[in-house]
Formats: sequence, structure tokens, C-alpha cells
Amino acid sequence: MTNAASGMAVHDDCKLKFMELKTKRTHRFIVFKIEEKQKQVIVEKLGEPTETYDDFTASLPAEECRYAVFDFDFMTEENVPKSRIFFIAWSPDTAKVRSKMIYASSKDRFKRELDGIQVELQATDPTEMGLDVFKSRAN
Amino acid sequence: MAQLAETYACVPSTERGRGILISGDPKSNSILYCNGRSVIIRYLDRPLEVQVYGEHAYPATVARYSPNGEWIASADVSGTVRIWGTHNDFVLKKEFRVLSGRIDDLQWSPDGERIVASGEGKGKSLVRAFMWDSGTNVGEFDGHSRRVLSCAFKPTRPFRIVTCGEDFLVNFYEGPPFKFKLSHRDHSNFVNCIRFSPDGKRFISVSSDKKGILYDAKTGDKIGELSSEDGHKGSIYAVSWSPDSRKVVTVSADKSAKLWEISDDNNGTVKRTLTCPGSGGVDDMLVGCLWQNDHIVTVSLGGSIFLYSASDLDKAPLELSGHMKNINSISVLKSDPKVILSTSYDGLIVKWVQGIGYSGKLERGVNSQIKCFAAVEEEIVSSGFDNKVWRYSLHGDQCGDGDCIDIGNQPKDLSLARLSSELALVSFDTGVTLLRGTKIVSTIDLGFTVTACTIAPNGTEAIVGGQDGKLHIYSVTGDTLQEEAVLEKHRGAITVIRYSPDVSMFASADANREAVVWDCATREVKLKNMLYHTARINCLAWSPNGSMVATGSLDTCVIVYEVDKPASSRITIKGAHLGGVYGLEFIDDQTVVSSGEDACIRLWNVTPK
Repeated sequence: MTNAASGMAVHDDCKLKFMELKTKRTHRFIVFKIEEKQKQVIVEKLGEPTETYDDFTASLPAEECRYAVFDFDFMTEENVPKSRIFFIAWSPDTAKVRSKMIYASSKDRFKRELDGIQVELQATDPTEMGLDVFKSRAN
Repeated sequence: MAQLAETYACVPSTERGRGILISGDPKSNSILYCNGRSVIIRYLDRPLEVQVYGEHAYPATVARYSPNGEWIASADVSGTVRIWGTHNDFVLKKEFRVLSGRIDDLQWSPDGERIVASGEGKGKSLVRAFMWDSGTNVGEFDGHSRRVLSCAFKPTRPFRIVTCGEDFLVNFYEGPPFKFKLSHRDHSNFVNCIRFSPDGKRFISVSSDKKGILYDAKTGDKIGELSSEDGHKGSIYAVSWSPDSRKVVTVSADKSAKLWEISDDNNGTVKRTLTCPGSGGVDDMLVGCLWQNDHIVTVSLGGSIFLYSASDLDKAPLELSGHMKNINSISVLKSDPKVILSTSYDGLIVKWVQGIGYSGKLERGVNSQIKCFAAVEEEIVSSGFDNKVWRYSLHGDQCGDGDCIDIGNQPKDLSLARLSSELALVSFDTGVTLLRGTKIVSTIDLGFTVTACTIAPNGTEAIVGGQDGKLHIYSVTGDTLQEEAVLEKHRGAITVIRYSPDVSMFASADANREAVVWDCATREVKLKNMLYHTARINCLAWSPNGSMVATGSLDTCVIVYEVDKPASSRITIKGAHLGGVYGLEFIDDQTVVSSGEDACIRLWNVTPK
């Protein structure tokens, strides 16, 4: 059994796409998957800037873990438009224990590769990453 | 959005053998009492408007308004006194740990600067007086060796404090700083209540030895007593002065309240005896009283509050009652206006009418405890903690004769087929029993641990939920159950299953905070992700038109979902009932009634977004 905590490499594509989201705003969200056989974190899906929060929740499988980055736009109390970059560790209760362990132990190292995450969220079911949770964490 | 429409409040919690102390504010015409961990503020002219303060961590015992009506000081069994504002959302001013045991009585000084609290504790700390905002002690109170049941502050200067207790003593303290002056041992039993007259000239102590004694307020000497002619025949639990200081009302375990006129030679003679109109049992013993403005309020052991008019004593009193303990189920009868029946585990069934409030208690022949309850127009079926299921016929306001059936196992859940109410499904640990009328049709051992059950209104289908979260659907043919399907989605023991009114869908909820709506015909999931509760779901209800489902949980919230919208667009009612929501029903398509551990029932107006 490989040591999951320190063995997971991060594919260059992940960092590139994240930089694009941060600087050029070319993606609404990115979903990352850990490919166990190649021992890498790779980009699974990219979201267009026009896609919404609902498209984002639809791209997260209900029984498997994923990492995701979401660019959340909102209005502050003074009606100023602002955005926050959320990192979501999606770990549903119904996923396999092995999958949850691998994602949990590799999360820290992966997050360090993505420079510029403003809020981190861990969700174990759809209610924990509901829109109201995003809004309350955005301030 | 959801808005609170009406509250049917609980009644003060009482204890056999002890009096309770209720207080009030003459300016806002409200009374204050405690039940469980809540302090309830009730307006005498608007009984449906109730405010509840639930911030105590331990059961609350007594609460009092400050003389200026701005603050309320409330005390609990841990010896903590909390001072909070009456308006402004009950913001907490200060919290003090005053005694090391329960606090039995609390009084403000007339200038609102000092508070005296008395109760139980270890060693010397049985009574303490302190400044209200800083908590610094303003006197030493020795002289009592046992629990101090009551204390009082002289309403006029020079300030005096009197205390009385289980050691039969009445102690008199002068101050501030308060020091022991003298002690009286005129009573031969527990002295239950002691009160100064509003004009500050006298004070009276009443005791379980059926006597009441009057003393001079400035010197503390005994000056007279309540005449024993036509006196109480049982322990006197509480006393209250009239605002003009000429009369007192006392309540006693002999189930009567007496009005005494205090003459100039300081002796009291009975002017009037008020007996409370009740069934005459132990529950009618009167344990608390209050004379406020023109109202005389008496509280009975069973929790009924009687409101008499002081100027017109012949008028029948207004009776307000309710539950004292956790209300574990509600049923709505389809009459007009809607009648709500609520039951608590001690076997009390109360009738409420929407818009009016308390409308009477249902007396049953045998008062057994109730755990599961179901009611249709003419019948009530209930089961308790023994092996019996009781069926009572319901005629308007009264319960007819009841029949009981022993089903051989303790019933865990009960369901009536609404359209053919003869048929009932009762589930117990390992199986279910089908009842037709009062006869057992069949008892079936299902082989798994059963936690919830329901039967379709027409009696042809039954769903049984198990400890493992599986839903088993059976078709009912005659007296046997045929298993049709097993549905697996829940990840915890099923707690409640309900059919929608048109029987096209059913909803199930489990102990793992999840609820699911299924389609009856296809047995597919219709609405999922109803995971917004944070503790086990106790109850579930459908709206009459089948478009909304409401769930109530131990986390004190009620969440209303719409079946054709995703679960995230939900209406949450936070903090519906302190301690958990245990009963839930829809009265009509916009009103939900919920009940919970705090013994209150609340009606909410729900408008879909």
C-alpha cells in the first residue's frame, strides 16, 4: 500500500488552470480528481464563466470525493460587487472510506500548490455547501 | 417565510407538597412563571400572546420584575440569578452565582438597587442580598439552618428583610448592611411564604400548619394572626396582599383560596372562600397565588391558572390551562374552527381551538400514560408504556367509554387507517399487530427491529421502517401482510413515515437527520437531500394539498420543504421549541402547528417564497 499522505503529485495543469481562474477569470470553477493509479491530482472538469452554482453542484459526484475551486461573485452591503475564491473539499458521507482518507491526507499539500485561495470549505453533504453557506463565509 | 401566529403556553411546573411563586407587573398587566428551563411572560388580557425566555441552563424556579418594570431577575436550581431586560430582545445584563443550591425566592428592593435571594445551600449560604449591578454583598444572613422557602423586602424605608423556612423560623433583618435582628418560632411546620403589605406596615407569614401570622413591619413583633374560624384545612402554600393593603388572599392544599380582611387590630377574618371548579382530585390543590390590580390569579397543582376578578368575586373565573410536560403528539380534527388535540406523556389530553386557545381537557376513564396517539373524528387511539392499546370514542367534548386491548408487547408506533378507522397498525420491537376495532386480527413477527410504521388511509398498504434504515412496503390482505418491496436510502433508524393526503406520495425520516419523499406508485425517490436538520427528525407532516412537507427535529427547528422545488429552497423556523420539536401537523395549507419539549404549542403562518 502506497503512502498516500506524501506520495501524491500535482499535475502542472492544475496550477495553470488555477492561475487562469485567478488572473484571467476564464473559468467559473475547476473540479480536481485524484487519479490513484498515476498517483496524481488532475483537472477533471472546467466550468465556463457563464455557468452557475447549480452547474457546479451538478458536476460533483454524489458518492465520490473531489477537490474543487469555485469563483463566487456576490454583492456586499454597500452594493459593491466582490468575488471570493473558495476551495471546497467535497467528501460526501456516502463515499468509500479509502477515498475519503486519500483526499483528506493529500489536501494540505495540494492547497499549498494553489496560491490565492481565500476561503476553504469542507462539505460532507449538499447542505454543507449550500448557497447560504457560501454567502455567510464570503464576508 | 414563517411567522409566529399564536402560542398556547405551558403552565407553571408544580411539585406536590410545595408551593410555587408567581409574580407579575401591574403596569403591563402580565404574570411571570417558570416551566422547565423557560421563564414565561403572559399577558392577562391577551392570553394568546406569550413571551418565553429560555436562556437558563438549569430548570428555572422563580422570576420577578424589577420595580420599574425594565428588568426581570430570574433564578434557577443551580443557584444562578440572571438579570435581563424586558424589552430589547431580553438582552442579558448580568448573571450571578448567588447560592450553592436551588433558589426558592427572589425579591427586588423597592428602589431596584438590591436583590435578596433565598433557597438551599451549604453552610451559611442560604440567603444572600446583593447590589443588582455589581453583585456585592449587602449583609450577612445567618439564623437559618434549613432551606429558606421565602423572603421579602420591606417596600418602604427603613429597609428590612424577612425570611422564613423549613426550620419553622421567621427571621427579621435590619439594614443595610443587613444584620440579624430577631427570630420568631410561632409556626409548627414549614413556613411557606412571607410577604410585606404594599404600604409597608405589616407582613404576614403562612405555613403548612394551616396558620397565618401577622407582624409589625418596622419592629418585627408579632401583632396578630389570621383567625382559625373558617380557616384553611390544609397547608397554606402562598399568600398575596391586595394593592390597598387591607386584604390578603391565601391558597391551600385544601383546594380553596380564602380572602381575608385584615382589621385594624391586625387580625384577619375570612371574607370569602373561593373553591376552584375542578374534579376534586389532587390536581386541584392550590399552590400559588397573586393579587394584581383587579385580578386574583390562583394556580393549581395540575397546572390550571384561574383568573378571578377581585371586584366581582361571584363571577366565574377564567380558566387557563395547558401542558406541564413534553407534548409528544398533536392531532388536528377537521371541524370548524379547527380543534387541536395535544397529548403529553403523563396522560394529559388538552383541546385547543385555533384563535381562542385553551378549550378544555379531555377526561378519560383511566388516566394511563400516553406515548403514541392518533385521533380521527369520532375516536381516539392511544398507547402508553404498558402493553395496552386504548380506544376511546369521542363525542364532541367528552370522551366516551374506552376499551383496551393487551397486545402482548410494548407498542412503539401506532397508525390509524384514516378512511376506515377501525383498522389500526401497531408496531412493537420485532413486528406489527393489526387491530380491527378492539380485536387483534393478527400479530406478525417480521424478523427485524421495527422502529416506525404507517398504514395507508384505505388500509390496503402498510410501510414499516426498521432500525437499519430500510423501508419495507407490505400489501394488507385480510389479516396478513405480503412484502412487496424493500427501499434502501436512509442511513439511520427510521423515525417516522407518513402518507400524503392524496396517497400519491409518502415521506420518511430517520434518526440521521435525513428525510426523503417517495412516489407511491413507482417507489422512486421524488425529493431527496432534505438533510438540513442537525439532529434526529422526530416528526413529519404533509400539507392538506400535498405540496409541502414539514419536518420537526430534536435540534428545535421546523423546516418546511416544497415537494416540487429542490430541497435547498426551504423555510426554516429556528428555535421553535426549546428542547426539541416532537409534534407537528398542518392545520391548513398555510398554517403549521408544532409542539415540543417546552410544553408549548405554537402556530406558524407559512408562506411559500
